[in-house]
Amino acid sequence: MSIITISGLKKQYSGNYVLKGIDLSIDAGQIVGYIGPNGAGKSTTIKILSGILSDFEGDVTVLGMNVRENPIEIKQKIGYIPEQAALYEVLTPIEYLRFVGKLYQLGDDEINTKSNELLRIFDLAPKADLRMNGFSKGMKQKVLLISGLMHNPEIIFLDEPLSGLDANAVILVKEILSQLKRAGKTIFYSSHIMDVVEKISDRIIIIDKGTVIADGSFEYLQQQASRGSLENIFTALTGGSEQHEHTAQEFIDVLKS
Amino acid sequence: MDKLLLRFLLSVVSVFSKRDVDFDRLKIITETKILMDRRRVRVTYNKKDKDPKNPLLITLVVYAFFGLMMGAMIFFTESLLLSMIFFHAYLLFMMAMTLITDFSAVLLDTTDNQIILPRPVNSKTVFLAKLIHILVYLLQFTIALAIFPLIAIFITHGAAAGLPAFFTVLLTVCLAVFFTYLLYILILRFGNEQKVKDIIGYFQIFMTLLFTVGYQLLPRLIDFEEIVRTFSLHWYSYFLPPVWMALTIESFKTVQFDAIHFLMIACAVFVPVITFWVMIKYLAPSFSRKLSLLQNDQQSTPEVKFQGKKQRSLSSRLSAVLCYSALEKAGYELVWKITGRDKGFKMQFYPSIGYILVFVFITVFRSGRNFQETIDTLPDSKLFLWMIYIPMFSVSSSKSLVNYYENFQAAWVYQSTPIKYPGQIISGSLKALLTKFFLPAYLLLFLYSYYTWGPAIIDDFVFGFFNNMIIFFLLEVLSLHNLPFSQQQNLKMQSGRFVKVFLQIIIISALVGLHYLALRISWLIAVLIPVAAIGAWFFHNKVSSFRWKDMTV
Repeated sequence: MSIITISGLKKQYSGNYVLKGIDLSIDAGQIVGYIGPNGAGKSTTIKILSGILSDFEGDVTVLGMNVRENPIEIKQKIGYIPEQAALYEVLTPIEYLRFVGKLYQLGDDEINTKSNELLRIFDLAPKADLRMNGFSKGMKQKVLLISGLMHNPEIIFLDEPLSGLDANAVILVKEILSQLKRAGKTIFYSSHIMDVVEKISDRIIIIDKGTVIADGSFEYLQQQASRGSLENIFTALTGGSEQHEHTAQEFIDVLKS
Repeated sequence: MDKLLLRFLLSVVSVFSKRDVDFDRLKIITETKILMDRRRVRVTYNKKDKDPKNPLLITLVVYAFFGLMMGAMIFFTESLLLSMIFFHAYLLFMMAMTLITDFSAVLLDTTDNQIILPRPVNSKTVFLAKLIHILVYLLQFTIALAIFPLIAIFITHGAAAGLPAFFTVLLTVCLAVFFTYLLYILILRFGNEQKVKDIIGYFQIFMTLLFTVGYQLLPRLIDFEEIVRTFSLHWYSYFLPPVWMALTIESFKTVQFDAIHFLMIACAVFVPVITFWVMIKYLAPSFSRKLSLLQNDQQSTPEVKFQGKKQRSLSSRLSAVLCYSALEKAGYELVWKITGRDKGFKMQFYPSIGYILVFVFITVFRSGRNFQETIDTLPDSKLFLWMIYIPMFSVSSSKSLVNYYENFQAAWVYQSTPIKYPGQIISGSLKALLTKFFLPAYLLLFLYSYYTWGPAIIDDFVFGFFNNMIIFFLLEVLSLHNLPFSQQQNLKMQSGRFVKVFLQIIIISALVGLHYLALRISWLIAVLIPVAAIGAWFFHNKVSSFRWKDMTV
């Protein structure tokens, strides 16, 4: 059963189209990896699906609701975690989570219990009462993850969720995503880390210059592109391999000159 | 001026220190540091006004203006001793405050370790670069602060006073540097680098308050003529550095070298020199050691013991009483906490709070009349009306200030969460501002008014309280609606400022006028209180019912 449907999705910034007509249908309980080069339109798509951007062309429904007409109802049931760890850093993690919890209209007890427990799981309990302006990017990313998941959403949109995390945290987040999937959640996430996308995604969508250029399971994409890893498939599809080699050679030549 | 000073100091270095110093690298390091100094935002100019290319130049011009005032004071004060005490006290204070608030950026700057140390630059060059940087920094502030007073001394009292004054200025600067180092070391002894930065932050806020409020208030509080008339030195005066400097200048000018003058000259010369030597020999190295130790310790964030369930904060308890929805509580607590921690907000807003005092002095204790006479006649006047409405003039500026924030990108969270009525966050934030800033000032003024006018003014203050709430919420209704800490601080915030101030004056004047007229009928205020309460409630509800379409995003 489709939990997200996108048809004819277009989005422009000052006359420049970043999404040029996307059609997708996503089933419940899947992990969908959404990958593409910088500027391909990944973050824009996620923002539209999360009800953050409303001035787009086409139709988008999430959980059977029209994104344009029911953004509040949709936001209550989804979790969104952005790429940039922008937080009110003068607050402590506990204070920040309390603030976000209240925006989701959670009760005080629920906020306190969940914040403390989730911070403990992410090894942040000893720092729960410290202001976040001294935190590393990874620590902030963990707080961000908790803030987007603490209301137990049905669909989770993640924009580069692993950015800045250390190796252990990456493994933990991968495991959390897998278990969330087992619990019936739908996860739609963009990432640059190909091997993670390759390992945990049920379905991989590759987007380039505002259009979907590949869509299917890793095995299916492997078959289609006749390449080994997702990185190779991605490079082949986005036309990068020769270009990268040339750029690298040029760089070395300038260094030597 | 900094470039000239740098050129001068570099030429001195090139003559005296040729070996072991990489002159080209020294030049590029010092030039870069001075360029960065020029661009660093400083305390004395208001960040919100605009983003000038050279904030340092603005600071120096402001300081030169203070110097000009001091020069005028020297010019018009007959007593050389008194004017010199004032001048050196001013110089010592200004220099120490400038160093405490601004010098930290130089002293606590550890970027050298990351940027310069990994490069092929020898330690002597790095040391000299730091020294030259500090000297350029000190000299330009000294020149800005002291050039006009020195000219005034030369003109008014001749070279016999001017030449020694030139040296006492340098000695005073040495003392100011010593005091600054001493303060930093004392704080570091009892705290950490963050503590130093926090305390420096408080000094910066104090400086801002002093600049904006002090020059309004001090002339009204200090009777300069009285001081000149009754001036005399007491036994404890001889312990004060400005007195040493002034007596030194006086002894050269009047050729008096008796025991007391001789002792004072000795203090004026030896104390700064010795303390400066102690600073270079012991304090500065110990400071650097302590600082690098602390920074190594703080490579990882300090851990605090997790204490499980904690007591609720004051803001959380207040929001539970004053706010009716989770969104209002969220807005209330966010604004309460960030306004207490964000230095940018505090530096811009606290002077407005200070202005409450200025306004009270201007309106209630007017200058030009005998102070005691004013106090005596107050109970017969209706001047308590000012006490009721003055706090709102100052506190209302906080309303627009909380919209702006350096890290405004964090406001994405409002967009991604299911908020139907963003107005509730705004009404929560307005309540936080009212309880945190307006209410304490209002209560203090009420207590003073109660003491002066008696219980008859209680109903006026109750009526005034609701009127003030109407003003605060009505101003929000009439202006652009922004969520707290969601806007980038730039020139845009200035647009419509005049209109806002004009609106505010009209609304406050109308309500004060109504209040004033109501005073003529004894029972009317009591009748108007529920009307004002309903009005306040109406506008509060109006704000909380704002939807996304009403917001300026």
